[in-house]
Amino acid sequence: MRHTLTRRDFGLGATASGALLAGTGRARAAIRPIKLGSLLPRSGYEAPIGQSCQRAVELAKKMLPEMGHAIEIVDVDTESKPEVARTQAEKLIREGVEMLVGAFDSGQSFAIAQVAEQHGIPFVINIAADPAITEQGFKYVFRNFPTSVMLGTQGLARFNDLFTATGASPKTAVLMVVNDTFGQTMLRGIHALMPKANLPFEIVDTISYDPQAKDLSIEVAKAKAAKADLLMAVTRLTDVILIVREMVKQRYEPMGIISPGSPGMYQTQFVKVLGKYADYAITNIPWLDPKQAFAHRFEAAFNQAYPGEVCTLDAGFTFEGFVICADAYKRAGSTRPQALVEALKATNIKERVMIGGPITFDAKGQNVNLPSAVVQIRGGKPIVVLPAENAELAPIFPVPGWSQRG
Amino acid sequence: MRAMAARDLSPRRAAALGLFVAVMLLLPLLVNAYIVSVLVVVLFSAYFGQSWNIMTGFAGQLSLGHALYVGLGAYTSAALFVHFGLLPWLGMLAGMAVAALAGGAIAALSFRFRVGGVYFALLTIAFAEFTRILFDHFGWVGATEGLFLPVANLAHDDPLRLRGSPRMFYYLLLALSLAALALSHHLLNRRVGYYWQAIREDEEAARALGIDVFRYKVAAMALSAAMTALGGGVLAFYDNNLYPDTVFAMSRSIEIITAPIIGGLGTLFGPVLGAVLLTGLGEIMTNLSNAAEISGLKQWFYGAALLAIVALQPSGLWPWLRRRLGLEEGRR
Repeated sequence: MRHTLTRRDFGLGATASGALLAGTGRARAAIRPIKLGSLLPRSGYEAPIGQSCQRAVELAKKMLPEMGHAIEIVDVDTESKPEVARTQAEKLIREGVEMLVGAFDSGQSFAIAQVAEQHGIPFVINIAADPAITEQGFKYVFRNFPTSVMLGTQGLARFNDLFTATGASPKTAVLMVVNDTFGQTMLRGIHALMPKANLPFEIVDTISYDPQAKDLSIEVAKAKAAKADLLMAVTRLTDVILIVREMVKQRYEPMGIISPGSPGMYQTQFVKVLGKYADYAITNIPWLDPKQAFAHRFEAAFNQAYPGEVCTLDAGFTFEGFVICADAYKRAGSTRPQALVEALKATNIKERVMIGGPITFDAKGQNVNLPSAVVQIRGGKPIVVLPAENAELAPIFPVPGWSQRG
Repeated sequence: MRAMAARDLSPRRAAALGLFVAVMLLLPLLVNAYIVSVLVVVLFSAYFGQSWNIMTGFAGQLSLGHALYVGLGAYTSAALFVHFGLLPWLGMLAGMAVAALAGGAIAALSFRFRVGGVYFALLTIAFAEFTRILFDHFGWVGATEGLFLPVANLAHDDPLRLRGSPRMFYYLLLALSLAALALSHHLLNRRVGYYWQAIREDEEAARALGIDVFRYKVAAMALSAAMTALGGGVLAFYDNNLYPDTVFAMSRSIEIITAPIIGGLGTLFGPVLGAVLLTGLGEIMTNLSNAAEISGLKQWFYGAALLAIVALQPSGLWPWLRRRLGLEEGRR
């Protein structure tokens, strides 16, 4: 049968060729690695956590290309200062970085966000909890970390899960809070949410202390004098080490010490410094999902590269920050900021490192699928003990006294 | 007595100053946004250094807590803007008044009870720390949660409301630094300047000559605090967020004094030179440490630079450079 080329055939052919060419062009464009800028406080007063995040950056450089993502990461140190974060963000953009990831701290993240907005460069926040960041109407800023309000809500919700799972229920609690940005935001959240959280205990005393305090013996003595069943603690790292040391010294043995979502008790230094006294400390916090294959791969790579270090949420969220960027670039097929922003808005990553539903962003650029887990130190390691579907071990509560530990 | 400004500028010095101003005016038009952001940091450092220099360099009273006045200026103007929509310039005037009162009160308390030298320095640290803790609990300005100014990405700079690009802030800070330079020059050549220098060199001798030492020391502190607060106000509108832990930080007080010490304490141009050198070389060190993946190289450099200056040029770099350039100021 003879076939002649009609005008309709020509049109269809042209359209198909165009689509094919466009597809080839997109595929070709995707081959070029996207340049991602990492901004973290690797020196200065936030250096320990900045270094912890940096380990995930090093792993992202290796693992993401192996997973087929065309990325190149340029990393810089913000020196724990917002003004350095700002100039370094400017420098990275000047050097052709097409997306930014960082910066652990709210002040530094806010400084970078302003630069990102001015230049129209997408910025994915790995860790920063101040709710105000996503309330500014930024168009290029996305956060894959719970706000302090979310952390407080989720953290309190896990208390009842723990009491239900263990059948133990304290009637009173004393709350120790570090007096810094994070601590006070959490405190307000706790006071606001306590009436709705339906918790079995009441807070009989709230003890606030300076983050730079070198001795917390008086505060711990005050907590002990409250004779409460439970110690709730909103802390940083050095202060919680001081608190536990004083608790051992003063033989203060409540049913347990639980953080509703603050740093400190899941960190490597806490375990290294306190040894057996670090065991059984509980933090309700977003954590790596032991039931996800991707999390296992990440943790295995982490443990191989950094033996002796604990793979914490700092590393997990930082790694996910780069996964989000790589995924957006893959779907956008372009390094145009607007295309990347549209791809980020449509993010729906189901294979995660952290516990929770798919990574998606709301209209403000906030991921709201970020539940907390109950993480307990067991044998010197942070272990997920709740929710049951993610747990590696069953929770132990009340915890053994100081003298009953190996 | 240390070298001081001459009453009149020699043609050579006038030409050097003119060249410096011309270069600074043209610079943002020739460099990229990254360099402009670094230059903004340079100018903040220069301006704060000049303000501190009046208190310590001219009047000889060591203040180690000048972050207090940065914070008072920043918080006053930002809070008035956020809560009442007051124009930043009016807010900054209020901030200057608050800081001048605070500085004057601290100085009056200290000097009335003859607290001087290192004890006065410790007292300035104590007041800065005390205020930081106070602001940690001051809910009206956000306490530890911080005070956020609404961010606006405008197509054009709005100098009236201080909403705009880093380039706008560069020119604003350049104007402030030049004004501070002019004011310092003017004061040094007036009676008050001579009195301050007399107090700095020998307080007892100055008192014996009939100088009201208490009054002039309090005036130096109030003026220095007010000037610092003005810079703090600009900082608030540049950063758009304020946390007590960073604004009132001890590290900020130390950074304020580093540039004038490196550049030349008590000299007019020393704080500017110190700021240019420290921030410029600091930025190079930051980039080197990023390239070499050695975190904290900059802090090492700062320490080494301070040691080297103290050992080799204890009076700072500007007096040495001035001699080399043939710009020696008149001596009295």
